[in-house]
Order: sequence, then structure tokens, then C-alpha cells
Amino acid sequence: MIPAPFEYHAPKTLEEALRLVERHGDEAKILAGGHSLLPLMKLRLATPRFIVDIGRLRGMSYIREEGGHIVIGALTTHVEVEHSELLQKKCAVLAETAGNIGDVQVRNRGTIGGSLAHADPAADYPATILALDAEMVVASSSGTRTIPARDFFVDMLTTQLRPGEILTQVRVPILPPRAGSAYCKLHQPASGFAIVGAAARLDVERSWKITAAAVGLTGLSPKAFRAAAVEKALVGKKASEKLLADAARHAAQGIEPLADLHASAEYRREMASVFTRRALERALARALGKSA
Amino acid sequence: MKLSGSYILPATPEQVWALLNDPVRLAKLLPGCERLDADGTDRWKAAVKFAIAAISGKYAGSLQITEKKPPKSLRIHIDGKGVPGFMKGEGLLELAAKHGETEVKYSGEAQVGGMVAAVGQRMIEMAARKIVQQFFEGAAKELKASSG
Repeated sequence: MIPAPFEYHAPKTLEEALRLVERHGDEAKILAGGHSLLPLMKLRLATPRFIVDIGRLRGMSYIREEGGHIVIGALTTHVEVEHSELLQKKCAVLAETAGNIGDVQVRNRGTIGGSLAHADPAADYPATILALDAEMVVASSSGTRTIPARDFFVDMLTTQLRPGEILTQVRVPILPPRAGSAYCKLHQPASGFAIVGAAARLDVERSWKITAAAVGLTGLSPKAFRAAAVEKALVGKKASEKLLADAARHAAQGIEPLADLHASAEYRREMASVFTRRALERALARALGKSA
Repeated sequence: MKLSGSYILPATPEQVWALLNDPVRLAKLLPGCERLDADGTDRWKAAVKFAIAAISGKYAGSLQITEKKPPKSLRIHIDGKGVPGFMKGEGLLELAAKHGETEVKYSGEAQVGGMVAAVGQRMIEMAARKIVQQFFEGAAKELKASSG
């Protein structure tokens, strides 16, 4: 349980951090909350030569409204996202997702930027970030760039982030009135990771007609994905319990679900439908202004 | 863990067969393979480094080919030990001509144990599928390059 030797850096400014990660390239790992990287290092599954601890950078932990977006600093912890009144009011699904991550210790230390950059195939945020069409703001010594959520995740533990880049901010669009969102998850009891996690967002007219639908799923495959077939089955239709249940049946369409000790492929496929339906039902109730 | 599937390679079964039996070209295609040294007939010693993002491990082991029926089928056996754990597996590869190309069907079973399995259990199958995919993508590229 003792990591291999490494050189530790704790930069005070983002500029300094960027210089360090640029200099050390793919030999450097960025440490934020440490709740994914440190366990890997203690088991020596990861043996980076350089650690750049960005946990002490100031001004990277915030949640605020900016234009039509809510912007979240990469070092914002899960517990801060969970308890943010701004998010609870204007983007409930994100707060709900954060509250479903791991356990209390993980939520107190783990950060939204760290979780997204690590891109664990069973992490919770990726499903929600996809369903919200969020954007990642990424800094490097040559400037910043913005990556849409649907391009961000490449493969298991792999994102678009290049060596020398640091994820600094997540930008989430504010949901319009009469939109509802929700996250429902089947926990793996020991690790707290998602066996299946479903994030749903529905825009509904007064007549109950669904004008937009987005569903993000995690836990099923090497990276989180948008359940396009479910979305297609919903848009333009009048919402009903039956419609949501029928649409949710398509949750794992075109996917060959992962099988492991905790769940077979068939079970995961079935649970993807069940949890997608639950997330859709809760999102609809919220869109219609009912408490759920 | 069972792995099976198929992949179309842009070459004749004879060309695919030649590739599978050429350790120099094969070593380049095996993801993370750093060395592949002959160790008797149809048997090689291998040094492999697997890396997926921050997680990496070095393995030393052997690769053996048996039940050769050129150019139709062969069986591959792998056996490796490393710091993060061990792996052992075997699989049957079947080649069939299909519209001027070759369909390779594979079915096999692998066991992974030790630390990497205890911790990475939920990711091992995904990693294995990815490695198989990388191998076939590399083989397709290599066959295209050598025929063109």
C-alpha cells in the first residue's frame, strides 16, 4: 500500500501548474482530490514519475451563473455540487448525480474535474454531462479550448485531454422552464460505482408534448453514451407512463453491455431500461412542476 | 472471461496465415509487445507492457501456437506474469475466405488474477476487448500496406 517513488509538485498558480505538466508531458499525472489516482498508485497499478498537485490552486472551486450557463470550477468537490442551491434550482440532475457518487469521504474530497478527466467507465458524472450537452474548458500553456461533452470521452479512462492540458471548468446550460431532469443509479454496493447510471432531461410543453429529450448512460460500456434510440422514441410525442416505459426499452440498443462479477450483460441491459425509465419518470414529474 | 467475435481482414487467408506465423511482423501488432523471441518451434518468449491511461503493467510470458491447420485455423496460448498480476489464456482463430477478404473468427478464454484482477475486475473485460480490437486494426493496416 505504499506508492512507487515519485516527484511531488504543488504549484500555487495555474500558470505554474501548466508549465509543470507541459515540461513532464505524459510522465506527469495531475492530482486533484486524489480519490481515483491515489488508490491506483498505492496498489502500484499507476506509477507516474511526477505528480502535479493542483489541489491548492485558488479560484478553481466555484459554482456560478454566467450568461446562459452555470459554470463550475474543476476543483469543486462532489459535496459542493450536491448542496449547491443554484444547481438544485436550475440544474437538478447535476446536484442529484453528485449526491450519488461513492461515499461521504469520496464526495468530500473528490472533484468534478478529477472525475471527468479520469473518465472511469462506471463514473456518474459522464452520463449527466452528456445528457446536459455540457462543455469542458481546458487550459494549456498556449491558451484555452472548449470541448463539447459528446467529443470529450474517447474510451475507458481516456478523454480528449492531451498531456500538458488541465481541465479548468465545466459549463452547463441552464435548463429552460418546463424542463425536468433526473439521475437514477443502480449502485455496486461495495465500491459505490454505477452498475448502471441513467441521466435524463425532458423539455415538455403545457400539453405534455415532449419537445426535447436527452438520456446519458454510464456503467454499460467503456465510455458513457447518449441513448439516441430512447431520445428518438420520445421527441414530438405526448408524454405518458407507457411512452416513457416503451422508449426506455431501447436504452442499451446497439450496445454490447459489459459483463463482470457484479452483473451479466443481460442483467445490465435490463437494468439500463429500468433505470432509464425511472429517470425519465422523475424528469417528467419535475418538468410538470410536481415534486419527485 | 470468455472472448469471441470476428473481424474482416483485407487479404487472402494465405496472406493472413503468413502474418500470423511471422514473429517479426506479429510482434509489431501485439499491443504493448516490447520483445518476442523464438523459444522452440512455434513458441516465443514475450515481454509486454500494457498501458491504459495511468494504469500500466509489464508482463513477461510466453506465446505458443498449436493445432496448426494452414491456412484454416490455429490455436494461440498465452501465459504471462507481471508486477500487477498474472494472465493466462487460449483461443482458437479460424480463417475463412469471404469476397476476396478473410473473416477471422476468434473464440477463447482468459484468466486474469492477482492485484490487477482484484482492483480492476470491472475493467478487465473492456481492456481485453480493446486489446483484441487494436490487434485486428493493426493487422488490417499491416496487410493493406504489404499488399499495396
